[in-house]
Amino acid sequence: MTDHATVYDSVQHSQRRILRTLAARNLVGRPMRTGALLAVVTILALAFFGGTMLTMNLNTGMASMERRLGADLMVVPQNTAQKAEALLTDGNPSTFYFTKDIADEVKKADGIDQASEQTYIASLAAECCAEKLQIIGYDPSTDFVIEPWVASQFDGTLEDGQMIAGANVNVSADGTVELYGHKWPVVAQLASTGTSLDNSVFINLDTVPQMVEASAKVAKRVMPAEYADKAVSTVLIKVSEGYGAETVAENIKRLDSRFSDLGYVYPGGVTATTKTALNALVAYLTVFVAAIWVMGVIVLLAVFAASVNERKREFASLRILGATRGMLAGILLRESALIGLIGGAFGVGLASLAIFPFSALIGKQLQLPYLQASVPTVLAIMAVTLVCSVAIGVAGSLAVLVRIGRPEAYLTLREGE
Amino acid sequence: MKNRLFAALPNIVFGALIAIAPQTFAHACGAHDGMMPACHYSQQAATGIGVVILALGIVALFVNPQVRIGLNIAAVANTLLLFAIPTVLIGICKGAMMHCRMVMLPTLIVLGVLVIVFAAAAIWMDARCARRA
Repeated sequence: MTDHATVYDSVQHSQRRILRTLAARNLVGRPMRTGALLAVVTILALAFFGGTMLTMNLNTGMASMERRLGADLMVVPQNTAQKAEALLTDGNPSTFYFTKDIADEVKKADGIDQASEQTYIASLAAECCAEKLQIIGYDPSTDFVIEPWVASQFDGTLEDGQMIAGANVNVSADGTVELYGHKWPVVAQLASTGTSLDNSVFINLDTVPQMVEASAKVAKRVMPAEYADKAVSTVLIKVSEGYGAETVAENIKRLDSRFSDLGYVYPGGVTATTKTALNALVAYLTVFVAAIWVMGVIVLLAVFAASVNERKREFASLRILGATRGMLAGILLRESALIGLIGGAFGVGLASLAIFPFSALIGKQLQLPYLQASVPTVLAIMAVTLVCSVAIGVAGSLAVLVRIGRPEAYLTLREGE
Repeated sequence: MKNRLFAALPNIVFGALIAIAPQTFAHACGAHDGMMPACHYSQQAATGIGVVILALGIVALFVNPQVRIGLNIAAVANTLLLFAIPTVLIGICKGAMMHCRMVMLPTLIVLGVLVIVFAAAAIWMDARCARRA
């Protein structure tokens, strides 16, 4: 009796093992069907993960850019407004300036809460095989734009001759950046922002004359010597409560007739323009991903539905051998879940190969703030993509489940005789 | 025949791409003050490695499964060397926005990953086939 029970248990165990592996064996046994289903799910997962990552990175970049543009108004020299706007987004480094006396006059206008000066100098390529840098001179005592951001990563005082480097700046192993043949000590390197600030170095305004002198020694002087200690590229203004940036700009123009020719940049407007471009791109992406998903789901349903007729006899045979409808449902669900999981993993892998290594290139080509989302966010999106892929696979097989549940096994097996 | 093609074609295609890409669209940076940057030498080495992977793929078309396994292991080893050249052995420009870092390095990494994935799959298929024989 005990022997019989042991044999029965062994057979039961063996049957359970066969049923567990039957789904995988079915997939291997039908390579064309499995390949077609995998291809569809892979494309769906690729589109979903790729589209979501691009959208997420653009939004992260935009949020980062908004945090960095703390001024309501920038007053810049005549005909340099476009260069200044480009500096806020992703433009090339440039040098432009007016003199400090103009800046001092501008600050007297009505409606100004805070004002701070900055000086912009475009470097030569820093050293062999590095790109040009934007050197930004700022006044730590009055600054309200850069300092709050710098303070989160550097709590010391930026001394004369020292630098704070943006994320993309190539700081050598000895903690310096070589510019104009001189090694400048770097006291901190900032986190990536996804904007042109990543290719900038920050110095205090008293270091600007040193930089100008250094440029004169090794290359073309970046500005005449007499301007070195009084050059100001922009006056950043935070307006008082109750005033608009345009109103303050008008107040400045009223101070002196010459001030009408100055450039007035509204960072809020620049942000709004960038945001509009970004929203349009995100909308296109969403429509594209949605269209691919709709088509993909239709194709999946069609492939599963077509396989019903093909597999009727297979399932009928299993029923005659003693498989319950629940067992058949289990096999089908495992098959579709496996296809969803493997296809999802392929899609995520392929999209990752395109998105992560080429992140800098994508950011440059889009000409929009583009900042890689954090690792936990990326992992969460990967998990959601896999769950969606499995869900879509299982949903596709539901149609088959309903149909195989209906007919009698014997009749199905005799069909066509 | 199926296993033979699977073991050979990816190496032929990706080997050719690894050889061609650094000389065309995924090129290194230009000379700077008359000096060739490190990425130039990485580019030349990558092209050489690509040609070797391509040759391994061609040989794999004419040999038995056991030899194909060895050839694909060699392709994986070559790919690891391909990764090491721009990152450790020779290097590339340090600037994050330089062409070699933005295009050449990612292109080589992506092609290298694909070579490894397909070689691993081919090794598995050929090993299964060799066990059956």
